[in-house]
Amino acid sequence: MNRQPNQRDANRVEQALACPLTRRRFLQGLLATGALAALPGGLLLAQNLLSEEGFGPTFFQGKDAYQTFRNACPRNCYDTCSIVSYVKDGVLQFIEGAPESTFTNGGLCVKGYAYPRRVYSPDRIKYPMRQVGRGSGNWERISWDEALNTIADKILEIKELDGSLLGMALTKYSGNFGITHYGVEGMMSSLGYTTRFVGTPCWPAGIDAQNYDMGNMWCNDPEDMVNSKYIIIWGANPAYCSVHSMKFITEAQRRGAKVVVIDPVFTQTAAKADEYWEVKTSGDGALAMGMARYLLDNNLVDRDWISNNSVGFAEYEAYIKENVTLEWAAEESGIPVEVFTAVAHEFATADPATIWIGYGMQRHVNGGNNVRAIDALVAMTGNVGKVGGGARYGHLYTWGFNYHAMVQSPPEGSVGFVGETGPMGEFASEAETTEASYSDRAVNINKIGQVILDTNDPPIRMLWAANKNVLSQDFDRNKIEKAFEKLEMVVVVDQFFTQTAELADIVLPTTTLFEDWTVNASYWHYWLSINEQAIQPMFEAKSDIEIASALSSVLNSKQPGSCTFPENIDPKEWMEKEFNAGIYELFGIDSWEDLKDGPRKALSGTTAWNDGAFSTPSTKYEFKSELAAEHGHFDVPKFLPGRDAYAPYRLLTPHDKYSIHSQFQNVDWMGDLNPEPYLYINPQLAKEKGLADYDTVRIFNQVGEMQIKVKLTKNVPADALLMYENWYGKKNDYNVNILVDDTSSDMGAYKTGSPGVALHDQFADIEKV
Amino acid sequence: MTDLHATFQMKALSSFFAAQGASDLQVAYTDLADWVQQPAPVVTDWQAVEFSFNRLFVGPKAPIAPLFASVYLEAEPQLMGPSTMRVREIYALAGLRSPLKNQLPEDHISYELDCLRQFTVALNQIPSADEMKAMRDYLLFNHLQRWLPTFIKRVRRAENGHEAILFVVDCLAVWLEREVANGRLPQATH
Repeated sequence: MNRQPNQRDANRVEQALACPLTRRRFLQGLLATGALAALPGGLLLAQNLLSEEGFGPTFFQGKDAYQTFRNACPRNCYDTCSIVSYVKDGVLQFIEGAPESTFTNGGLCVKGYAYPRRVYSPDRIKYPMRQVGRGSGNWERISWDEALNTIADKILEIKELDGSLLGMALTKYSGNFGITHYGVEGMMSSLGYTTRFVGTPCWPAGIDAQNYDMGNMWCNDPEDMVNSKYIIIWGANPAYCSVHSMKFITEAQRRGAKVVVIDPVFTQTAAKADEYWEVKTSGDGALAMGMARYLLDNNLVDRDWISNNSVGFAEYEAYIKENVTLEWAAEESGIPVEVFTAVAHEFATADPATIWIGYGMQRHVNGGNNVRAIDALVAMTGNVGKVGGGARYGHLYTWGFNYHAMVQSPPEGSVGFVGETGPMGEFASEAETTEASYSDRAVNINKIGQVILDTNDPPIRMLWAANKNVLSQDFDRNKIEKAFEKLEMVVVVDQFFTQTAELADIVLPTTTLFEDWTVNASYWHYWLSINEQAIQPMFEAKSDIEIASALSSVLNSKQPGSCTFPENIDPKEWMEKEFNAGIYELFGIDSWEDLKDGPRKALSGTTAWNDGAFSTPSTKYEFKSELAAEHGHFDVPKFLPGRDAYAPYRLLTPHDKYSIHSQFQNVDWMGDLNPEPYLYINPQLAKEKGLADYDTVRIFNQVGEMQIKVKLTKNVPADALLMYENWYGKKNDYNVNILVDDTSSDMGAYKTGSPGVALHDQFADIEKV
Repeated sequence: MTDLHATFQMKALSSFFAAQGASDLQVAYTDLADWVQQPAPVVTDWQAVEFSFNRLFVGPKAPIAPLFASVYLEAEPQLMGPSTMRVREIYALAGLRSPLKNQLPEDHISYELDCLRQFTVALNQIPSADEMKAMRDYLLFNHLQRWLPTFIKRVRRAENGHEAILFVVDCLAVWLEREVANGRLPQATH
């Protein structure tokens, strides 16, 4: 026998692995020697030697060689892509967009195509882990049993100490919008009355604005933009944030529509437009009112639509005529009179015309008010309720699920908060299902640092963070870090080691979308997708509802009756329980199983308000809203100035192309495409500051400071500083919320429980380092 | 060192990298020190070893030197890719399987060392088993030898790696060097 390995032996093994016939001969030889019987056993177990399972080429063999599953991207994204997943021998190989959806049309975005790399990233949180000394980086691996026992002991300790569980708080938002993930809220309810961080950092001011104007937030199907003759994209960047919407916009252009983009930043969407306006940040309301003034002066409003479908227009008209001039609007918005009047004219005379109102535009101290002014522009031109028209912001028309996972009862005898109606949310509200004398304690999600610092009687002792990266995405990071010192226990449920996990006491690994059952709807398009479990959870990951169920079991073993969450659940069955007759009717399906054949589109509701029956108190479009006035806002949209600058330059922190908030940036492909964060500044500002590309600057304001390299671009206004939000993977110290405070926007509390945050009303200064 | 020593050394290395906590690490480390017959650093604080172990290999923060071959063999590191599947096939060819199939990738260092150990033990009993030797050599030369040096280098370069872990990695390096140099003939001694 040769002492050294020889190529012939290597080839024999290669051939045996590759070819069933050769493998059989190889095995015959192996069996004849009796060597297999001599294998001593160990970590690896014996299996049927003749099994062909697991063998086969790893290269692409045509789609028929794979098992396919239906999935849906559950991220906080307009597109909520329907996915087909291809699995071989239990391993996710690749994914693609579901061809049945005419919205995604078989495509995904760059982030979506990278999903398998996320599932199989070596960086995933693999096991429950406990940090010995918060922030120390000293972690020990613990079993699920130990983790849940530690957590359960803390819960029972809080209850014993305070006489209630209000000392336990939940912060959760949009990390996974799968409907069964509302089981996290259900878990909290099943424990008793707790403290809930309510509201949304995303879109609340605009939601309230549309509710005051129309009685609900409801928009047309984005696919119907192909019918638009005129499209204004106002404060949105779909080329980054809704890539599938772009094809409907470009199709409308091909058919002759004009596309105008209004944005402080020359975005990729702006680059595709026929006309771009660099509006002064937060000057949008003034601009809309200036356009309204022009329409009124030139008799370009749709008086018939207004008289048939609205109330309060006379008051709005009077306000505009008495307070708004074209020159004033130009001054406030930075857009010359001749420019905006020309577009106003074109917009009013095109039929149908539509405005896409972006979420960035309402993240201001005057954001809700600005949305109302833009809504009014669409309404006064008679464009609400039309195919190809509408004030498009978002909708929840297709979200009529049972929220079975969310709706859980507190244990008998639970003591809670008195005098509140319980937590609210834009997608589903538990307040509507609670009829007890006690409720949860609702606190502002957008001021988490301040709330933790200020809340007492009882204080927040324990924080459960799920589907949310608090330290990265919430505002005034320095304050949050300080507030975390007050917490006695922090539990973070996540797939990756986020900045929040860094300050956790216990991290729990959770499943990716491919490892779980759920169902997904969109707040933009009208497609419904099932999310099948395509693969086993990697390592020891569990879904949110499995965690809730396991925690319930441990709690009840310690103190019977202390948790009402069912202890034995089947995630697939729980997904089924989210469906109801209304959903089936809306989507024209007999059973959820029909969705295994592909996503389905709603059969109705795709043209918002087309019957003219608005959900306002008057059932009309309300240019004048008594409800808004009751809530302390203007009754008609009026000019509300933006926030006073507290530093020389406007700081903008919009979404990036390669991430959704802090998700995806840590995936290697995204890191390759976007390896380093930069501060983007205009060459004019660079000249004033003596800066060149890649110079390092200190950026600072009253909230905090950091150092970062600059890149020069004319896409950014000369008085602005732009940094894309998100967590840059292994460059873990990058965080724009070091510089963003938690000042509230004007609206949001009505429908989501807390006002939004004025995250684009921020300012800073820079100096060369 | 005899084959017997080598297999026990492999077992101790495999157990060390499969450890779930300080006590597992301690047991495996003690075994390893016995079998390599080298003076091992004295450890008084096993929790410190565990912290370092998790920072290097497990997480929850992205580990510095993950324990999976595919991280070092794939052009774009990803678990459960072609190199993991190749190892799964090698196990299957020998009638072996992971008890955590599709949950823990088969190219975990502990599984690979365990497989190699089992092959070595079998060959020790039946030296004429050519197919087994071919498989063993394939796993050693066409797989382990291709990634372990990079893994070892990464651990050695890491900041603040615990001396006990560096000792284990040194043992791994010495073991690999000997295996590769000798082709590990059954019954061989030196």
